[in-house]
Amino acid sequence: MKLFGKWGWMVIILLSIFLLNGCGFKDIDKRFFVVSIGVDIAKNSPKKYLVSLKFAVPSPSKDNPNEFAIVSESADSMSEAVRIIKTKVDKEVDFSHAKVIVLSEDVVKEKGNAGIYYWFSRRRDIQGIAWTAIAKPSALAVLKVNPKGESMPSNALLLSLGKEGSETPYVISEFIFDMKYKLIERGIDPILPIIEAKKDHFEINTVGLFNKSRMMLTLNPEETKILNFLRGREEKSASKVTKGNTTIVIDTHKVKTKYKIHTPRGKAPFIKVNVSVEGTLEEATRRVPNENLSTYEKATEKSLNREVEKVLVKIQKANLDPIGFGLRYRSRHFNNDDWEQWKRIYPAITFKVKTKVQIADTGLIE
Amino acid sequence: MNRYYLYLVLLNMLANVIIFVPKILIEYRYKGAVMGILIAVPIGIVLNYFYTKTITKFPEQGLPEITADSKHRWLKILHLGGFQIIWFSAGLITLIGFIDILSRFVNPEMPKLSLLAIYLAAIFLIIQLPTDRVMYILEIVLFLNLPLIGFIIFKAFTNEFLSWDSILEVGTHIFERPSLKSIAAATYCFSGYANLIIFNRVIKGKLKNWNLIVIFFLGLVNLFTTFLIPIGFHGSDGAQQYLYPWISTSDSLRLTYSPIERVIFLFLMFYMSITLISVSVHWHIAFELLKGTFKEKVSNKKNWLVLASFAGCSIVGVIFLNALLLDKLTVYWMIVRLGFEIILVGSFFFWARRRTT
Repeated sequence: MKLFGKWGWMVIILLSIFLLNGCGFKDIDKRFFVVSIGVDIAKNSPKKYLVSLKFAVPSPSKDNPNEFAIVSESADSMSEAVRIIKTKVDKEVDFSHAKVIVLSEDVVKEKGNAGIYYWFSRRRDIQGIAWTAIAKPSALAVLKVNPKGESMPSNALLLSLGKEGSETPYVISEFIFDMKYKLIERGIDPILPIIEAKKDHFEINTVGLFNKSRMMLTLNPEETKILNFLRGREEKSASKVTKGNTTIVIDTHKVKTKYKIHTPRGKAPFIKVNVSVEGTLEEATRRVPNENLSTYEKATEKSLNREVEKVLVKIQKANLDPIGFGLRYRSRHFNNDDWEQWKRIYPAITFKVKTKVQIADTGLIE
Repeated sequence: MNRYYLYLVLLNMLANVIIFVPKILIEYRYKGAVMGILIAVPIGIVLNYFYTKTITKFPEQGLPEITADSKHRWLKILHLGGFQIIWFSAGLITLIGFIDILSRFVNPEMPKLSLLAIYLAAIFLIIQLPTDRVMYILEIVLFLNLPLIGFIIFKAFTNEFLSWDSILEVGTHIFERPSLKSIAAATYCFSGYANLIIFNRVIKGKLKNWNLIVIFFLGLVNLFTTFLIPIGFHGSDGAQQYLYPWISTSDSLRLTYSPIERVIFLFLMFYMSITLISVSVHWHIAFELLKGTFKEKVSNKKNWLVLASFAGCSIVGVIFLNALLLDKLTVYWMIVRLGFEIILVGSFFFWARRRTT
């Protein structure tokens, strides 16, 4: 005690930290970074899944910055597959940069894959903000696509699923944490974008709608756009209207959707959906005089009404709820059996769609 | 200084994320957590009021000084001993919980005990300092970190993935009968006032009533933020599945154009210093109270003995308590803590009144 002062002891304690073994940390050159994960159904194999991991290969030259390696393994579960893949690579497999998860169409169409979806959330090292999507024709095919102008592996997917790159109303992107949220939450169902692998690019313009266990329905690009309108997440879009023999295209820059569930006593329940669209006239097959713009607005409203209602009814017929009407109903009713009530109400509910279109501008020319 | 009092209360409000308060509240979201929070706010404010009213009668004195010449030995032991155990265990739970988080999310390959060693070294440095210095460290830590947490909360509230419908769905369960566990957990956010037991030494002048109004609003906002944001992100049905709701929530946030895209690392960095100072403040109090129980002046040897026992307890805790067990224990600890607080505030209030009149 007399040997050192109070501070001397502190210094000794602090110094002794350096004696602690530092084997915990592996250097960056001994790690192999996974950038995307793909899950397929294994073919010609007794095992259930084919799990593929796409690794970024650090390359010293700047000529091909998006060099990658794909390692696949068939197994009955995700963790088994990853364990076996670890034996195939020489470095530590690191998931901390895995930002895209693709599940093939066959996987999502099957029941009983909850174990996989939960595995991603349970692992501490997989980001909650990893983009999730359905792959067509297979996850491996999507991982193998090597688009031109990609600055690092899987970057093209990141840019098109995120909003930093292209912004289109045909992509409804989804994070893994949000997918898990929708898999559990009563009253809202998951939606995943479908990525179609082409030779050296991707096509993402359709979505798959899930119930609580598997994909039930796919929407075509136009329906996807309408669904995006209804979710109110993307405002830049276009809608085409034909009136008489003139076709005009409206480039929207403001789309707002409000809906309210009405359950009047003794009458059939209905959902009132109000969509307000504001945009500029972008293209017309014939000259459209400014005085007649309001008639075109009316025509657009009419066609939009029809389209929106068609999509809503189609989704309702499949007994899905990607927009969250059920959750809205639950959140506005104080009784405890509101979910059971909603399950009775939803199949018979009618939609009253009202759109309001405003053409604010006709571009640089009249 | 009135702001020091606010810092102490604020510290507990921030540390509640680590000490399983959101986890407990979310577990009871359909079973009366909302009403529990609404009941906890007045309880917290009343305890705050009586304690500050009483302790300002003894300006710039901690409890050991106040009770130095008291004849009621049982009261002294109850106060010094009781609070000591409560505050030591509060620090211990925070520390073990955060060591678990660190080993899970930051460095899974490092043994927990070496993480603990680093923390203990820093904590022991701080708790032996004089009380006013600990206060200054607390002020610096809060000053550096508050803008960061404000930013993260702002980002969470404006995120498009935050589902207000899920939040309202939990809100519709407001009329459920409140459970004791949720009330006990929610009052933890207000119990920072009890730090005054030692930190009254640095508080000059009377504590004004506007402090209570500030605490009322801060506490209400804090509780609902801590409880509802994870629900907005992970669902009214799904949020209870997460062991650390707030860590998972911060992992669901994305800063598109910042150097670090994942908010979780910002959040963990912020909580490293908050946990450090929170444990230090609690243990500083336990340490000072323990010194107060000895009759004669504390020798250096005894000092080290106390620190060694602190270290021993935390090593045993880290080895034997995993996160699941700790979570279960914390629920009961919260109830015990609330009971103790009420007894202590009440007895101190009446004792002080009899003494001064």
